[in-house]
Amino acid sequence: MNAVSKTDKYINKQIRRKKVGGKFTVKKFLEYFFTYLGLLIIAFIFAFPVIWLVLASFSESGSMYTFKGFFPSSYSVDTFVKLFTDTEMYDYPRWFGNTMIIAVCSALLGSLLVILTAYVISRFRFNGRKGIMKLTMVLGMFPSFMAMTAVYLLMTQFDLINQLWGLVLIYSAGAPMGYLTQKGFFDTISNSMYEAARIDGASNFKVFIRITLPIAMPMIIYTLLTSFTWPWSDFILPKLLLKNRDLYTVAVGLMSLGDTEFARFAAGSVFIAVPIIILYFLLVKYMVNGLTAGAVKE
Amino acid sequence: METDNIYHGRPPFFKRVGQWFKAIPHRFNAYWRGVGKKFAGIPKKIAARAHITKTSPKPVKASMFLMGLGQLMQKQIVKGILFLLMFAAYVVYMALAGGRAMYDFFSLGIILANPWLGIKGDNSVVMMLLGILAFILTGFYIAVHLANIRDARRTYEFVARGNPTPNFKQSLGSMFDKYFYVTALVLPVVGVFVFNILPIIFMIFLAFTDYGGEVVTTGALVSWVGFANFKRLFSMSGLGSTFVKILGWNLIWAVMSTALNYFGGLGIALLLNKKIVKAKKIWRAFPVLAYAVPGFITLLAFKFMFSNQGPINYYIEQWGGVGKLFLGVDSKWSARLIGWIVNGWLSVPSSMLLATGILANLNPDLYEAAKIDGASVWTQFVKITLPFVIFATTPVLIGQFMGNFNNFGVFYFLRGGIYCDGYFLASDTDLLINWLYNLSINKNYYSLGAAISIIIFIISAVISLFVYVKSPSYSKEDMYR
Amino acid sequence: MKKAISALLCGALVVPLVACNGGGLREKYAQQSLEKLYERFEGDIERGTAAKPITLHVLENDTAKKSGYLKELLDGFNKMYAEYHIVAIDANQDQFSDLAENGPYGYGPDVLYQANDILMRYCDGKHIIPLPIEKLDAYEYLPDLVKDTYTYSLGGHDYFMGVGVNMQAPMLYYRKDLLPENWETEWDADGNGVFDPIEDMRAMYRWSIARNAANSDQYGFMQSYDDPYFSCGYLFSYGAYVFGDDNTDMSDIGFDAANAELGAGIILQLAGVMNSGCVDNSITVARESEFARGSYFAVPNTQDMYGTLFSETVAAYRKQGMTAAEANAAANENICAVPMPDLPVSGDLTETEGDTIESIVMGGVSAYAISSYTEYPKASLAFLNYATSYEQALRRNEVLGIAPARSDANADCTVQADVAHSLLDMYNDNRISVMPSVSGVSQIWTPLATAFTEIATDPYRPGGKKFTKQDGRPNYVTLNALLDDLCDNIYNAIYTLA
Repeated sequence: MNAVSKTDKYINKQIRRKKVGGKFTVKKFLEYFFTYLGLLIIAFIFAFPVIWLVLASFSESGSMYTFKGFFPSSYSVDTFVKLFTDTEMYDYPRWFGNTMIIAVCSALLGSLLVILTAYVISRFRFNGRKGIMKLTMVLGMFPSFMAMTAVYLLMTQFDLINQLWGLVLIYSAGAPMGYLTQKGFFDTISNSMYEAARIDGASNFKVFIRITLPIAMPMIIYTLLTSFTWPWSDFILPKLLLKNRDLYTVAVGLMSLGDTEFARFAAGSVFIAVPIIILYFLLVKYMVNGLTAGAVKE
Repeated sequence: METDNIYHGRPPFFKRVGQWFKAIPHRFNAYWRGVGKKFAGIPKKIAARAHITKTSPKPVKASMFLMGLGQLMQKQIVKGILFLLMFAAYVVYMALAGGRAMYDFFSLGIILANPWLGIKGDNSVVMMLLGILAFILTGFYIAVHLANIRDARRTYEFVARGNPTPNFKQSLGSMFDKYFYVTALVLPVVGVFVFNILPIIFMIFLAFTDYGGEVVTTGALVSWVGFANFKRLFSMSGLGSTFVKILGWNLIWAVMSTALNYFGGLGIALLLNKKIVKAKKIWRAFPVLAYAVPGFITLLAFKFMFSNQGPINYYIEQWGGVGKLFLGVDSKWSARLIGWIVNGWLSVPSSMLLATGILANLNPDLYEAAKIDGASVWTQFVKITLPFVIFATTPVLIGQFMGNFNNFGVFYFLRGGIYCDGYFLASDTDLLINWLYNLSINKNYYSLGAAISIIIFIISAVISLFVYVKSPSYSKEDMYR
Repeated sequence: MKKAISALLCGALVVPLVACNGGGLREKYAQQSLEKLYERFEGDIERGTAAKPITLHVLENDTAKKSGYLKELLDGFNKMYAEYHIVAIDANQDQFSDLAENGPYGYGPDVLYQANDILMRYCDGKHIIPLPIEKLDAYEYLPDLVKDTYTYSLGGHDYFMGVGVNMQAPMLYYRKDLLPENWETEWDADGNGVFDPIEDMRAMYRWSIARNAANSDQYGFMQSYDDPYFSCGYLFSYGAYVFGDDNTDMSDIGFDAANAELGAGIILQLAGVMNSGCVDNSITVARESEFARGSYFAVPNTQDMYGTLFSETVAAYRKQGMTAAEANAAANENICAVPMPDLPVSGDLTETEGDTIESIVMGGVSAYAISSYTEYPKASLAFLNYATSYEQALRRNEVLGIAPARSDANADCTVQADVAHSLLDMYNDNRISVMPSVSGVSQIWTPLATAFTEIATDPYRPGGKKFTKQDGRPNYVTLNALLDDLCDNIYNAIYTLA
């Protein structure tokens, strides 16, 4: 938190009062009402299936059809206990650990690569730049199915089957293909920021570290969050590359549960959301207006 | 009146269409003329190149001959040795594996494998893959060699102007300054080439082989068959009508779902950005919660919700109605609608996060200025927010359009396993990629699947390249600088 | 830039045209004689050392692992072969993992236990190795049908690919304690002491209607029709078949042969007495729990799901207040299995008298096979013989309740013995149609599922019923047309792309 003195706080309050008008008009009230109504509806729509999954995970019976509509007919915490203790066949803690490793490593590595690529392509003008842009846009459109065969064969040749590193490598190496999102962000940053630093004699590398990264915080957070989330839900690639049950990720492991174990499936899925939510709450405070990070004002 | 035939501004749409078609022969001729000119210009270009090569200074010629020699001759020892090492590595690779791989790429194996007798045999597809890898590595080597020649020439001219020869430390420094883009792009480019481009090239070449069906199940050697797969595709009548029908639905789907996801996400981000909203973090957490649960899990949950004895039908029956078959054989439009809404549920949160990130960079002073000028909230949205966000995210929009165009999961989980009347191996909610899956992956017809993928790709590439190149994100990149 | 790319693409397209496919060298290496095929099994068993023992990877199915039987099996083998330093371990892979994908690259198991349709599919690619019959202990005790299922013909010779362990077929499982009070008088028309609905589908039809009328939450016979494995049986009973010429001729698809439309009519009528869950997989997913709760009286099920059925019923009994021991005993007694009820010759379930025919179901045999990529064929053979021995077959039956394929073990087994005996009889009487293993079989499932779903949807269509006439009777003309279309679709699917 930045240090705001008491006087400043008092002044801010006066300014706010003047802006808002101090009085409650009908228009203000309606605005408040519809805004919060909209927010409530949105929150409900998005939370509802998740809540239902949570309810399902507390169901006593494994099968989904013992539910009365949306609510289980009987509750118990057995499923959660079983999820973590019954590891003979379905070793959930192990899967969780595997996925955590893969997610963290590929998030860090992948984000680094994609931010570098996006920044460089956005800022520098060099030969073949437009060609790269068109090429990557076009290559991203191939249906990636058939690519799975090639990836599998490649991994057998590199001996990376049954290794978590194989997955990390593929996720990170593929990350720069999605650089266009980040590039769009970098394009909106005015050149004046960099010019000031260059005049002071900083090398491009230093400019990147000192100026770009702080401004680009919202984008970095977004990239980290999305690349962290992806390995938790991808099951095609891990199923192909990880043969050994001990190495399964959570997605593959949950898919291998039978239909009669829906409660466990729901419990497992709910747990996947936990690290992602935690990460979100940790990182969200960096998603502020980048211009207030102490750079040049327009 | 005479002046009626003179149009002011752009002619109406159909007239333009007519003009476009009328201009085809002209464009056709112009294209070939351009090609002809290029070919005619080649001898001149070759002569120019030869001249440059002949008149190059000695170190540059040395570099052309052997990578690294030029640097050594100009007293840049460390750089020269590094380049020589790279050359040596390449030679070793080619001698041990690369040369053989290139040969095998064309022959695709000779010895038939027979696991019963323990004969390992040649694995055709692996040979093709390694052959492509050898070509890519050769391409990298050529790029490095050219860079080396350029570097030698640059150093020579630098020294010729009277400056001291840059030592290694200075060269290294310039990699982080003037040539920062090279250093930064090396790893991503290599990674993308090996793990993304290689599979795609592999897949393209696969379409020209007969790798499918019997060849896969019996483990036979694969052969090159040229355009036979494409010929077969175009000659099968059943495929043609199915393809057109599915393409139509696919385009509608892509447009509608992208619209919902994009504007839904933008709308929520704007709503949450309002000053009067307290505890923004908490409100934003709900969509993020939806985003955090893996997609296929929520798809299965939705499939259960809409199943014939699931919760929704349960409540309908409780309130006296008759249970509806939402995802059954006949439910073309209800299944499509459900797919659309469910896909929106899945994709809006990440759209919202992206929009939030982009909007964070929007200068709030612009809004203040607009308000002082008397602009309404709607005008502010249309004239300030929308252009900014669209500018920043047009590539993403195109990417999302493509992603939705190729969205396999939605209809696979919700309504997989049904073939409808009038469709060949597809249902009426299947997208092209689901159809591709039914045709090829399920039944091992990889080469046909590759051929269809190429056709799908050509269609999507043409559309999106056209839109992208016309968009401000590409043509007017410096708009916000 | 554009022109450069187009030039490049043209260049790339030239490649396949100039490629030579190895020239004439391929023919030189194509001749490979199979005389030395069984040589791998000759000689002494491989020996490891204490420092470096031989490891055999064994792939079993999940129920064996869950119940602890796999551990027992492996421990027993390891003890027996400790002196050779051979250690068998669990391959720890998905039970449906594809040997064709994993084996050539070295990630496959040495010995694997899978279903016949999966195992026989590996034969074309030679991923499992033919077994030397004279070295197999179990061979002479296998029924002929089981032997035939695992015989593979290539170039005029027959090869034996896997030793059958476990026979499976859908049977009717019902709750004995849900019989009505007066069943001996009301529901035993022929007075043979057997509840009519479990031996005659017409009685089952009437019983389902009666049960549902008494209590709308309860049903009689429940089955999801989207699963072709269970639903094919109705067509087979009336003369349909999968592929002609004993499942070898893929150009002859027989789902509309003989009186198959009568079987389709049976499906239609049965669908009418269930709820809409029969159209999608709702009933299949709910099967075990609803059976345990008593809402479903009878369901078709396979033996490997018996364990789940049992445990759910025990749980339900315990909720009603019984102790663990009581619940176990009650479940043992009340869960009964018989072959699927007889079907009427006329194909009409609403009739009350007339001749019946026995129903035919689609079944399978799971077996042990040896991967061609194993480095220790003799040790693998030793393990295979151990796992398919008489003692192990009995033990497997005890722990998992499966029906042994070996006739000697089948006669002596203890758990679910009557089911085992019935299955053996059914196999010998050709009442079980084994799933084909030709390549075209992968194309039949989705069209079948769609056709069955179409039929089952009819009673639940709000208007415009396709297969029911005005008077509620099945419209055999449209059903026949549907089956004809089905065969055409499958034929096109197989041959258009071949």
